[in-house]
Amino acid sequence: MIPELVVSDVTVRFAGLVALDSVSFTVRPGSTHALIGPNGAGKSTCFNVLSGVYRATSGSVRFGDAELTASRPHQVAALGVARTFQNIALSPRLTVRDNLMLGRHRLTRSGFVSAGLRLPSARREAARHGARVEEIAEFVGVAGVLPTPVGLLPYGTQKRVELARALCMEPRLLLLDEPVAGMNGEERREMAELIVSVRESLGISILLVEHDMGMVMRIADSVTVLDFGRRIADGVPDEIQRDPEVIRAYLGDIEESAS
Amino acid sequence: MTTFLELLVNGISVGAVYALIALGFVVIFKATEVVNFTHASLLLAGGFLVAKLHPALGFWLALAAGVAGAALVGALIEFLIIRRARVGSHGVLAIVTIGVDILLTTELTREIGTDVLALGDPWRDQVLHLGPIMIAETRVVALGVAAALITAFLLAFKFTGWGVAMRATAEDAETAALMGVRLGRVSLSAWAVAGALAAIAALFLCVFPTPGLDRSTTAAAMKAFPAAILGGLDSTTGALAGGLIVGVTEALMSGYQSQLAFLGRGIGDAAPFLVMIAILLFRPAGIFGTKELARV
Amino acid sequence: MSRRSRWITLGAVWGAVVVAAVVAPFYLEGFWLQTGLFAMSAAVGAIGINLLTGATGQLSLGHAFFLAVGAYAYVYLSTDVGLPTPLAAVVAVLLAGAAGGAFSPIAGRLKGAYLGIATLALIFGGQHVLFNAEPLTGGYNGRAVPPMELFGFVFADSPGLVLLNVPFGALERLWFLGLVVLAGAAAFARGVLRGRPGLAMNTIRDHEIAAGVMGVPVARYRAGVFVLSSMYGGLAGVLVALVFQRAVPDYFGFLLSLDYLAMIVIGGLGSVAGAVIGAVFVSLLPQLLTRYSDALPLVAEPGSGGVSPAEAARILYGAAVVTLVLFLPGGLLGLATRLRRVIPRIKELRWLNSAPAPASRR
Repeated sequence: MIPELVVSDVTVRFAGLVALDSVSFTVRPGSTHALIGPNGAGKSTCFNVLSGVYRATSGSVRFGDAELTASRPHQVAALGVARTFQNIALSPRLTVRDNLMLGRHRLTRSGFVSAGLRLPSARREAARHGARVEEIAEFVGVAGVLPTPVGLLPYGTQKRVELARALCMEPRLLLLDEPVAGMNGEERREMAELIVSVRESLGISILLVEHDMGMVMRIADSVTVLDFGRRIADGVPDEIQRDPEVIRAYLGDIEESAS
Repeated sequence: MTTFLELLVNGISVGAVYALIALGFVVIFKATEVVNFTHASLLLAGGFLVAKLHPALGFWLALAAGVAGAALVGALIEFLIIRRARVGSHGVLAIVTIGVDILLTTELTREIGTDVLALGDPWRDQVLHLGPIMIAETRVVALGVAAALITAFLLAFKFTGWGVAMRATAEDAETAALMGVRLGRVSLSAWAVAGALAAIAALFLCVFPTPGLDRSTTAAAMKAFPAAILGGLDSTTGALAGGLIVGVTEALMSGYQSQLAFLGRGIGDAAPFLVMIAILLFRPAGIFGTKELARV
Repeated sequence: MSRRSRWITLGAVWGAVVVAAVVAPFYLEGFWLQTGLFAMSAAVGAIGINLLTGATGQLSLGHAFFLAVGAYAYVYLSTDVGLPTPLAAVVAVLLAGAAGGAFSPIAGRLKGAYLGIATLALIFGGQHVLFNAEPLTGGYNGRAVPPMELFGFVFADSPGLVLLNVPFGALERLWFLGLVVLAGAAAFARGVLRGRPGLAMNTIRDHEIAAGVMGVPVARYRAGVFVLSSMYGGLAGVLVALVFQRAVPDYFGFLLSLDYLAMIVIGGLGSVAGAVIGAVFVSLLPQLLTRYSDALPLVAEPGSGGVSPAEAARILYGAAVVTLVLFLPGGLLGLATRLRRVIPRIKELRWLNSAPAPASRR
């Protein structure tokens, strides 16, 4: 079962600066929801609150029955919330396979003793999850580079590996922080297709931060717009595109949305 | 009561000296994010130069040479090693400074050998009587000099272009560089300033009632590490507070050693480290340290 | 090289190492046996700190403390409590782990070099206890270490034993114990590093936040690795005590902790093989310099005022740490890996010396 993600009245303050000002929105189960806004609007802060990296000053984030604002990052992960990072956060010296295996961390159990002694249970677990990792790598299109250290791969491929690692957590909610940032047109199109097929084949909820408006309008079911930490609009893409306040917020930032 | 006051004044004086060392340590950390384990050997280098040069140059010139020398050693470490180490993590850089420390300390302690070197200071073993309190003149001078240096330093940190560049770099090195701050200069000057401060500290750690500069001076210098971290590695105020806490703790624990016999001999030397642990248990980032906000 | 021939080469190399290690006591004199044993115990300790510092990115200057816990706990448990020596050794290792666990509120919450400074407290606090808790530790003079006795076999000079015309004293016997312990410790660490915990540790080192978001309880892992590395330290302490036959507080000071950090940087951060190579290098260097000091320029006899072998060794490996990080970040292990990649290409070039050089990959 995929639960709803309900963000209500979340406020985040850093030393007098209000990064998020009572923001609310809801991600419906199985939908693709986009979070957009000019630079500095608070999108990344919002993601950091959702994944337990930042503590909200007030407000609540509920994922089904669980309250995320009171959880540490690994507890959020245990609920089946996965995320990718705007700047790639992989281990460059580890192979793609090892990076993906880390995604299985929450689903596996072997600890220091069983791994150190190479107990049969640990070996079986590694083999079983290794097979699943290969399936996911195949799905994301990085199966060919499984034995390659991540640091040697081109940027676009690393972005895919990040997505694959998040999928390896078998998430119920996937948070994607600018998945196509820095990619060329062809790579962007492929990534957008991949995101659509993730949603279609896995049926999970996706929350997406992205600057590429064309892509957002194509793949998102609903959109929340932030500006200076406040929510200025929320609705389906068609409404958002016509919303005067959104247009105003973006006018000062035309280059950004055009790029 | 008199004993307590004497110990307290002594503790504050020694603490001010620790604060000088810790301040240099914090400045390097703020400017380069490197935890500098060479600090004890910088101090030893400064003290050693003063000890070797004062018979020929006289004390004041020797002191100037020691300060300049330690500043130069600091700057050289930055220029020749830290700047050139292309490693991703600051943890590895910390290990590099440990390597440098091994080199410097081994060579300096070898030069010193089993000797105890006098620094030729003009205060000798004179004692000042302030009412019932007796205190070594060196301690009074140490307190005065440390206070003056710390004030000057904090003012410079706040108001000069150098200070602004330093603080901007600590805040966000990349943006500072884009705004025209020369990171190389900032980091070089941080190391030089830290070296100079350490040399002054060396002087006061080695004068009366301490017999002089010897192998154990590094151990004394190491007490600046807990001073820096318990105050907060990224806080100059923290370095001051940390220095004072360490100095006073050490003085009191040593002074009341006979009453604290159950804690064992030499508890004064271990006490600063135990206080550090006690504080870190409650405030992992130190008293004045900022909890690092992750940027992702 | 094909996969098959690589396996054959690898097997041959390992075979040679094993054979050399087994026959060594029959040929080496006591001095080198003792040096070898120190290197083995250092290797065990270095594997431990490499798990912490190399693989997880947590600096520790307190490793010597855990060696002290292991060594003294072994002495105390076997002599004063009267536990059988193998049991005393096991409990000593567990106690070292418990000491590491007691430090976990700090070890779990502080990261990187911060932790390094905090661990100085272990050294200075530890030294204080070692010198003052005389009934337990014997104070300044330390305590004698009872020899290990395993199923009636005593790891000491008496009762005498002669094997293939070679008198088998304490060192010869301990040699094999050391080999077994080291092999076990290395295999365990390798399993940890290659398994689920190793991936979590590496990710904490490379990107702490990503590790947390991927479901790794970062603080718990940091504390856990600290405990594990303490146990390796304790095991190294038991071994070194058995070889040295005396535990003295001076040995377990700050300099020993620095030695361990030097080992893993020189050998290669984050791997078992790197730790072992670095431990052998750092342990052997002063002994080599001592043995051949008269033949070496610059190095003087101990006590003659010049650079003593111990000092020369220290300067050399201090310099090695700095130069390796500057020029060869992978340590000696990284160098070996690079050579392995380059040498076959050089051979190729020789065969094709008339043909144009193949395009370089870089």
